Amino acid sequence: MESKRKQISRLLKGIERYNPDNIKELIDYVDFQAREPSAYDIEANLALLKLFQFNSISNAECVRKILLKSLTNLPASDFTLCKCLIDEHTQRHTIIERVLKLHDDLETCNFIEFWKELDAVEDLVRDIEGFDNSIRMFCRVIDITYQTMDRSTLCEMLNIADDELNEWMDRYNWKNMEDYILIQNHDESIKTRNIIERINFDSVMGLMKL
Amino acid sequence: MAALYHSEDFVEGGLSYAYDSGHVDYEYNIPSGLAMNVGASPMYDESEMQRHRIASMLQPEVIEFLVYFQKCIKEKSIGELQVIYETGFDKMSADFFRQESWPEADVVAPIVNNDKIFLMLYKELYYRYLYSKSGKNLVSQQREESYYNYCDIFNYILVGDYDSEESNPVGLELPNQWLWDIIDEFIYQFQAFNQYRSRVFAQQHKSNMESEFGYLSETSSWNVMSVLNVLHSLVDVSNINEQLTVYNSGGDPTSVSGVYGSIPLYKNLGYFALIGLLRLQCLFGDYYQAIKVLDNVDFNTKSTYTRVAACQVTTYYYAGFAYLMMRRYQDAIRSFCNILLFIQRTNKMFQAREYQQTAMSKINDQMYHLLAICLVLHPMPIDESVDSQLQEKCGDKIRKMQSRDVQEASVEFEQCFTFACPKFLSPISNYIDDGGRGIDITREAFNLQLKVFQEEVNQQYILPTIRSYLKLYTSMSMEKLADFLNVTMVDLKFHLLCYKHKLNNRVWVKGAGGLSGEFQSSSELDFYIDGNMIHIADTKVSRRYADYFIRQIHKFAELHNTLKQLPTPKK
Repeated sequence: MESKRKQISRLLKGIERYNPDNIKELIDYVDFQAREPSAYDIEANLALLKLFQFNSISNAECVRKILLKSLTNLPASDFTLCKCLIDEHTQRHTIIERVLKLHDDLETCNFIEFWKELDAVEDLVRDIEGFDNSIRMFCRVIDITYQTMDRSTLCEMLNIADDELNEWMDRYNWKNMEDYILIQNHDESIKTRNIIERINFDSVMGLMKL
Repeated sequence: MAALYHSEDFVEGGLSYAYDSGHVDYEYNIPSGLAMNVGASPMYDESEMQRHRIASMLQPEVIEFLVYFQKCIKEKSIGELQVIYETGFDKMSADFFRQESWPEADVVAPIVNNDKIFLMLYKELYYRYLYSKSGKNLVSQQREESYYNYCDIFNYILVGDYDSEESNPVGLELPNQWLWDIIDEFIYQFQAFNQYRSRVFAQQHKSNMESEFGYLSETSSWNVMSVLNVLHSLVDVSNINEQLTVYNSGGDPTSVSGVYGSIPLYKNLGYFALIGLLRLQCLFGDYYQAIKVLDNVDFNTKSTYTRVAACQVTTYYYAGFAYLMMRRYQDAIRSFCNILLFIQRTNKMFQAREYQQTAMSKINDQMYHLLAICLVLHPMPIDESVDSQLQEKCGDKIRKMQSRDVQEASVEFEQCFTFACPKFLSPISNYIDDGGRGIDITREAFNLQLKVFQEEVNQQYILPTIRSYLKLYTSMSMEKLADFLNVTMVDLKFHLLCYKHKLNNRVWVKGAGGLSGEFQSSSELDFYIDGNMIHIADTKVSRRYADYFIRQIHKFAELHNTLKQLPTPKK
């Protein structure tokens, strides 16, 4: 992956970035990212979208793959950045519209709705390897919100069966209590704070001289 | 580095004229250094007698001024040039050319002995003045002429003296303000041209637009690739990125600057070109690239690399806007506060020209609006003086944006965004919709960005309401909150997750790269859910009085000193 990234980054330097001859190579790179779950290069993808923008190319298939890959990088706002470079016409394409809906569900953290939608558009994401698991990584937001949660809700949010839950618990260090699961102890980190002003000597020193 | 186009050797006709109390007699050949023939400009068609009349109508003060101007450029007297550029030119404009534009370059040429370098720079000022007086009414030909003049200037700077065989840096020295204005105006005219073309194409079927439409379809001036090429070439030739990296780590930039980069003209143009690229990327909606361009510019700490204030303001405005669109609200707020404080503190209007003053106060207002949007979406404490100005200018709008009524809030967000956003552009020139009609493509570009922004705001519509409830309690049960908000428990869970998600953004921590940063949660109002209880943590900031007192004491001491030094009035 690293060598490929270095190779592609040559194409993105300076004015070379706008060279339409690079389009084919960048499209191949997107396919490569789709096949490897851990491969993701936001810069190359944005550059490709820009080349599409500059040369009035409408390639819904490629755009779909780029958008789905950027969903796997949530909570970073990569998807929004991509949206800013895709023109209205392409955005109204049926495939893209469904991807936009998926994004909307994720951004509002409506996980149940999201998994339902995903079921309905199974074939749309089939060629993105490891898509489901990458989305489950986003469910990390549960980590920062909840201290405890019961098993069934957690399974629902992650869309996994009860027996798979143990595997995910190990990954995130969640502990099994009797009725519920301890996610993260927030007692210490989230506390009411009082910010009091501290006057240090340096700022008052100037006054002393008067 | 690629030259924009190959300009053939400048060919000039001989020029000789004799003043003979009213009857002037001279030959004049039009310089043919342009790769493409400019369409006949109205001026060239006039008879020679007309030209003589205009030349003889130039007041002696104007002639004197132009000769002096030329001398300063030749002798590289930077100090005097600065005075001429910042005040002299405007004074002459106000005194002699209030109603119309300065005389055309060909008219001025005989006075300065056809000094081509001076004429290039003169034309730059001429067109800039023309744009400021009657920007909207300019036709394609005039815009194109200005474009070719810029090509000449940049070609000269990048390729070097026409006479020498290898390319060497030119021996020109101009005040930094002028260099910034060249880049700024270059991009501004590119924007204006795009908007104009877009308007014409949208109305291409109207009869009065046909000739303009025809002309615009053929021309290749002001195309996006050449503009990008200019900026990238300036950046490359000056090695400005390498210089900045070394400068940031405390080293000596001259070690990496190369032949061109060590000359102030190139170094400054390189830096200004970086800011130009930042601006251009924002206009095309590529916010990631916009911040990336500033990779080596340390704009997050308060140091300033350049003293041209307009450049600073532009940098922070576009950087802040890019951060806003990337949902990095904390970074956006910090950028805006930095520059608004800077503007407040320097206070004097540092722009000499009228149109630049209005531009500066407009961008000031725009930034307050953007700051208001950011603070509604991500409340956090900011500097008191900026806050008080903000309340004054946008207090009403802030209240509306926080309204429970989703419709009202949404309308207000849209209005603020429309006022404060940059004038977006689209890189393609012609666009026909499904009905076969031409579309105003710049309008489309704006609509796209607005739509992305609105979708983001809509996803967060319920968050301010949740925040207002959470502020009132230290702990609350989920059922109670669901009751207040009138939503189901299931939905509430998602809303709370959404709240945490939206407020957990990347924030720049340290170093020069603007894109880097750690994920940090909003500090003001935080919570976590334990079973069915929400535990809320608020941040109370006690009122800071020390800073205020210290400042006032210093001011008072200064006043006291001034009074002591005044002579006592004699009775």
